Amino acid sequence: MKDKSIRWGLPILLILIALPAVVQDTFFLRVITEAIMWIGLALAFDVLAGYTGYLNFGHGAFFGLGAYTTAILMMQAHWPFALALPMGGVLAGVGALVAGLPTLRLKGAYFAIATWALSRAVQQLALIMDITGGPDGMRLPSFLNPQFFYYLMLAIVAVTFALLWFLLECSPFGLKLKAIREDDQGAMALGLNPTKLKMQAFILSAVPTGILGGVYAYWITFIDPASTLGDLVSDQALVMVVFGGMGTLVGPVIGALLIFAFKTLFWAYLSDFQLLYLIILGAVIALSVVFIPNGLWGTLRGLRSHKKSEEKKDESLAAKLPQNEGE
Amino acid sequence: MELLPQALMDGILLGGIYITIAIAFSLTYGVMHIIDFAVGEWIMFGAFAGYYLNKVTGLDPFLLLPVVFIMFALVGYLIQPVIHRVLSGNKGNPLLMGLVFTFGLAIMFQGIALTVFGFYSNSTPSVFSEGSFFIEKFGLSLTISSIRLAGLVYALAITAALHYLLKKTNFGLGVRALALNRESAGLMGVNGKQTASLVYGLYVGVSAMTGVLIGCILSVSAQMGTEYTIFAFFVVVLAGMGYLAGVPWAALLLGMVQSIFLIYFNPGHTLLAVFAILYIILLISPRGLFGRGV
Amino acid sequence: MAEPILQVNSVTKCFGGLTAVNNVSFEVQQGEIIGLLGPNGAGKTTLFNVISGFYAPTSGTIIFNGKDISGKPPYTLADRGIGRTFQVVKPFAGLTVLENIIIASFLRYPKRKEAERHAWKILENTGLADRADVSAASLTLAGRKRLEIGKALALEPTFLLLDEVVAGLNPTEADKTVELILELKKQGMTILIVEHIMRVIMNISDRLVVLNFGEKIAEGTAAEVARNPLVIEAYLGEAAA
Repeated sequence: MKDKSIRWGLPILLILIALPAVVQDTFFLRVITEAIMWIGLALAFDVLAGYTGYLNFGHGAFFGLGAYTTAILMMQAHWPFALALPMGGVLAGVGALVAGLPTLRLKGAYFAIATWALSRAVQQLALIMDITGGPDGMRLPSFLNPQFFYYLMLAIVAVTFALLWFLLECSPFGLKLKAIREDDQGAMALGLNPTKLKMQAFILSAVPTGILGGVYAYWITFIDPASTLGDLVSDQALVMVVFGGMGTLVGPVIGALLIFAFKTLFWAYLSDFQLLYLIILGAVIALSVVFIPNGLWGTLRGLRSHKKSEEKKDESLAAKLPQNEGE
Repeated sequence: MELLPQALMDGILLGGIYITIAIAFSLTYGVMHIIDFAVGEWIMFGAFAGYYLNKVTGLDPFLLLPVVFIMFALVGYLIQPVIHRVLSGNKGNPLLMGLVFTFGLAIMFQGIALTVFGFYSNSTPSVFSEGSFFIEKFGLSLTISSIRLAGLVYALAITAALHYLLKKTNFGLGVRALALNRESAGLMGVNGKQTASLVYGLYVGVSAMTGVLIGCILSVSAQMGTEYTIFAFFVVVLAGMGYLAGVPWAALLLGMVQSIFLIYFNPGHTLLAVFAILYIILLISPRGLFGRGV
Repeated sequence: MAEPILQVNSVTKCFGGLTAVNNVSFEVQQGEIIGLLGPNGAGKTTLFNVISGFYAPTSGTIIFNGKDISGKPPYTLADRGIGRTFQVVKPFAGLTVLENIIIASFLRYPKRKEAERHAWKILENTGLADRADVSAASLTLAGRKRLEIGKALALEPTFLLLDEVVAGLNPTEADKTVELILELKKQGMTILIVEHIMRVIMNISDRLVVLNFGEKIAEGTAAEVARNPLVIEAYLGEAAA
């Protein structure tokens, strides 16, 4: 069952750590930094969507909560960034608790509605409050050190990936979540408390998202409801995970890289047709669901394990051995 | 205080429109067991269809309602098999995929509308657009604009027609059987696939027609969809998902909340009030005001 | 007699206007197999769901090991030692057979390694070991029913509720399952079983409780129950009356 792709993890991390030494171009470093951020957002989204079977259509709200919390603490309360950033994660977690409390006991459709509505409510709040600067948004002091943000983003996403890998693929927690995803009634009879586990998964998904939001705010130095709390964050996280492959940790990484690469190229060459991007985003979601419901990674893995099982028919011995390969 | 009767009256007139949106929406949930995140986008496309058909033909939007209905019902009828395919897939979690699919549709529709229609806001003229009634009785004075009254008449007519369809026809019997129990309905000869396609067509058609009316009463714009998606969710959650009898009360309540906020408070806070009520209902009585939802 | 392991005291369960279980009482002693019998719609599965915590009783109480457990959630009851199977078997389809059992094993063995070791033991006992790594969705009905029992056993329950674990199996498979149940009884397990197949339930049960239209109409040994005119009427309908 365990995905062996983890063996690529360390080499990739080492390459990424060495990268700024080779790449001097700040624009390119910036693009990579953002790509890493999206990997983190997609991974966090997948905790709930892929592993637990609950759709959070308001993922962007937690990103925004983190960004605004960090910004407000830095600008209004004059906290140092190192303290304000964790608070962004904490507040996103509290937001998950508030949104999950009434809805995680219910069917998934309620949760999808509630999280989507929550993201609208948070956006609306940011628009009308004074402390958030309303529609004009907030400006943060600029700290122009691309390498700092690159390494910070990398550290946070690497830690998130490692944590999720441990919790979801190695520890009992991941299997328990999958049990709930498959059949929560049956899971209850086996001693699992679905509401509690779903809540833990929701918070596990929200906290890294909030922290990434905080880093983003300080990095970009400007946040406003339209860019930080708009639908684009939620929509992109969704498309990355659905396209890449839900319920795995590799799928969101692949999805995030491909979609982000596409977005960057689109913005670079077709910036006059920004609205077209929205159409493509929606179309990719709808088409993925119809044609590759397991996502790119899930489909590839399915093909591979199919091939393997064909080969295995020849070796009678293989069936007896406990195997660790895909579903 | 003299504004309160006016606020309540406006609430009823507005709520009437929401009834038609939410009944069709709730019916679709009952039969197909998925939430259509594109509900607001169907309304938006309907509003634009009314706006442009009126511009081209010069006919009053009220006369165009059947045309819009047929056009959109056909679109819905043709799209439903795709949703059915997603829902009956054996890979992954079909219900989850159904939600993702309609969410993707909604994003795509928004993009298309913004590309084609731009960011402008218009409204569709009708014979009822001008003029209003004044009522002065029992020391109260009320103003009712004729277009809003016409909207209420439309809402009542559609609600009555849907009620007739569901309770008095064989088609309605099939729909109700399907909503209660899919498997036994199938055993009793209800063609689930066909019925679901018809229901989805009906829902898309009614939503688009209501969109035409909203275009007359309020406005037409490519960004209007989201607001009505929120309202549709609000009404069905308040009524109890899939529980049709609760819909009118929830819709009227929404109309009231909106008109009261418009008159007494900052209209910008209306949406927040709507969310707050939605949250409290989910917290206290997740099966809706009447505890009858599924 | 000793303190009963389970006491069902005047339990009633209503759904809206419908009374699915009406004022039912009985006791189960340590180590017994009690058969729950009744025509379709008699309320057997509802009673199962009340005892295992999926429904709270509308009135009445359920005492397990001397403690009132009425209305406690299923996961708490699983922890207290009640294991159950489902009539409509729903394995965690996307997971392997082994993973299905591991999940159940976490209740007593919270560590992954130990849970896996325990799961293998269960797989051996239920004859599923050779299918450990296949997807649970690909099992036959017989396999799924075994898996269902395996999951319940992995909880190391003291009291087991079995809902139609034999129905739908071919005679050979059915005999194997009956063997398993009798083996469990030998180990001291207390079992409440719902089964449609008379041959099975009459043979393995120490006592029977018969429900009809939600009410208890008879209780006793197989021979006593078979002679009861109310039972005969319920099963054979007006033809015999």
